[in-house]
Amino acid sequence: MSFRDIGIKIQAAREEKGFSQEQLARLVGCSQSALSNYEKGKRRLYLSQLEKIAEILDKPLEYFVASLSSQHHSQPVADRNQRFVTIVNHLSRLTDEEINEVMEYIDYLEWRRSGGHK
Amino acid sequence: MMDFSLTKEQQELISSVKNMASKEITPFALQAGETEKKKMLKSLARMNLLCPTVPKEFGGLGLGLVSSALVVEELAAASPGLAAIVAATLHAAEPIILAGNDQQKNEFLPLLTGREAGAAAFALTEPEGGSDLNIISTYATAEQTGYLLNGCKDYVINAGIARFITVVAATDMLNKKASLRIFLIPGHAAGLKTEEIYQTSGINLAPVGQVKFVDVGIRDQYVIKSREAGSGYLLLTQTFDVGRALVSALAVGIARAALEHALHFAENRLQSGIPIKKHQAVAFTLADMATKIEMARLMTWKACWLIDQGEDYSVASAMAKLVSSTVAQQVTCAAADILGARGYLQGNLIEQLVRDARVLSTIEGTNHIQRLVISSQL
Repeated sequence: MSFRDIGIKIQAAREEKGFSQEQLARLVGCSQSALSNYEKGKRRLYLSQLEKIAEILDKPLEYFVASLSSQHHSQPVADRNQRFVTIVNHLSRLTDEEINEVMEYIDYLEWRRSGGHK
Repeated sequence: MMDFSLTKEQQELISSVKNMASKEITPFALQAGETEKKKMLKSLARMNLLCPTVPKEFGGLGLGLVSSALVVEELAAASPGLAAIVAATLHAAEPIILAGNDQQKNEFLPLLTGREAGAAAFALTEPEGGSDLNIISTYATAEQTGYLLNGCKDYVINAGIARFITVVAATDMLNKKASLRIFLIPGHAAGLKTEEIYQTSGINLAPVGQVKFVDVGIRDQYVIKSREAGSGYLLLTQTFDVGRALVSALAVGIARAALEHALHFAENRLQSGIPIKKHQAVAFTLADMATKIEMARLMTWKACWLIDQGEDYSVASAMAKLVSSTVAQQVTCAAADILGARGYLQGNLIEQLVRDARVLSTIEGTNHIQRLVISSQL
C-alpha cells in the first residue's frame, strides 16, 4: 500500500460517484491540480483530508488504505493473528532441522500457489 | 507576501531560552551526568519547554512549529542531547495533538507540561525490520475492550524516562501497513520493560534504548482513532513530516554551535602574528559554514511555517531534514578542521558536536528515505 494505491482508490470511488476531479476538488476544498496529484500519488494526503474525501465519497477510510491483497482473506483479523501467535509458539519449540523442514514446506506451498512456475 | 522577521514574542522567547541555557545548560553540557541532566530537565520544566506545542488549555505554551523550532535550535546549540529529548517528546505528543480525543488530550498532554513535566517517547523502529512498516512485527491483538500489545521497539529516544510511549503497531499481520494503529502506553504499564539503555556516540544526554512489550493490555481509549480503521498509517506519515522539521531545527542548532565555537577560536588563535580568521582559507571556510547554516535554517523555517499554515509540508520537511542534517555534519567537520588537533580531543566541544551531528542523517528516516519522499512527489 502506497500513496499511489490510495490515489487509485480515490479515483475509482470518485468515478463511481460520478464526480469530475473539479467537482470533488471543490467539495473537498482543494485545487483540481492538488486532487489530481493525490490521485497520482504525487502528493501526500493527511488524515483530515482523506477523512473529508471518504465522507464525500461515502466510503469508510479503510477502503482507501486497505491493500488489495487483504481483500482475499476471509478469516477475521483477530482469529488470524491468534493463529499466527500459535504458529510462532510452536516454531520456537522446534529444532533447527525441523525448522528447515517447515521452510521447505512453505517453499512448496508458494510453488503450488504460483502454479508451479516459481 | 514574504516576511522573514520574527515576532516580538518569538524574539522574547529566544532571548529567555538563550539566557536560561547560558546559565543552566551550556556550562554543564559537556560533562553532564545524571544529576546535571535532572537539573537541566527541571530547568526546561520550569520554563514549560519540554513540549512547547501542547495547547494552553492542557497546560502547555501552545506554540506553533516555527516557534518550537526556534526553541529546539537554541537548546541544540547548548546541548544536542537535551534538544533530542525535547524533539522526541514533541514527536510523541504530535499524534495526540493532531488526532487525539478529549480524553486522550486531558490524560496525556498535561504530563508534558508545567513544573512537574516529564518527557515522552515515540516508538516505531524495531530490532529486525528497522522502520519498515511492511515488516513491522509489534502487533496488537484486538480484545473485547481494547488490545493486547506484544513486541519490541529499538533505538527509542527517552527510553526509561518517558511518562508515556507513543507506540506504532500492526493489528493485522497480513495487512500490516493498513492496519497500523497508534497506541498510548503509560510509562508504568504492566508488561512494559526497558531492556537496555545504549551507550551512544552522540546526543549523550538523551537515553536511547530498547523497549519490550509483553502482553501489555491497552484500553480502547488509549488508541488514537480507535474506531477508524486505516487512520494509523496516514497519521504516522503526517507525524513523521512534523518530526523531520524538528530534527532539522536540531541540526541547525548543532551547526550553529560549531560555527560559533570555530569563529571564536579563529578570532583568537594567532598564526604568524595575526588571528587565523584573517587567513583567507579559514575565512572562506567560515563563510561557507555560515552560508550553509542560513540555508538550512531558512528551509527549516519554511517547513515549519507550512505546518503552521496547514499547507502541504511533506516535501518541505523532508528537504529541510536532508539539507540540515548534511549541513550539520559538514559544518561540525569543518569546525574540527579549523581547531586542528584540539578538535580531536575528547572533552572538546567540537569533537562532541561532530559525534552529535552524525546521528542526524539516521534518525527520523535516513537521508535516503528523505530522497524517496521527495522524489515520489516530483
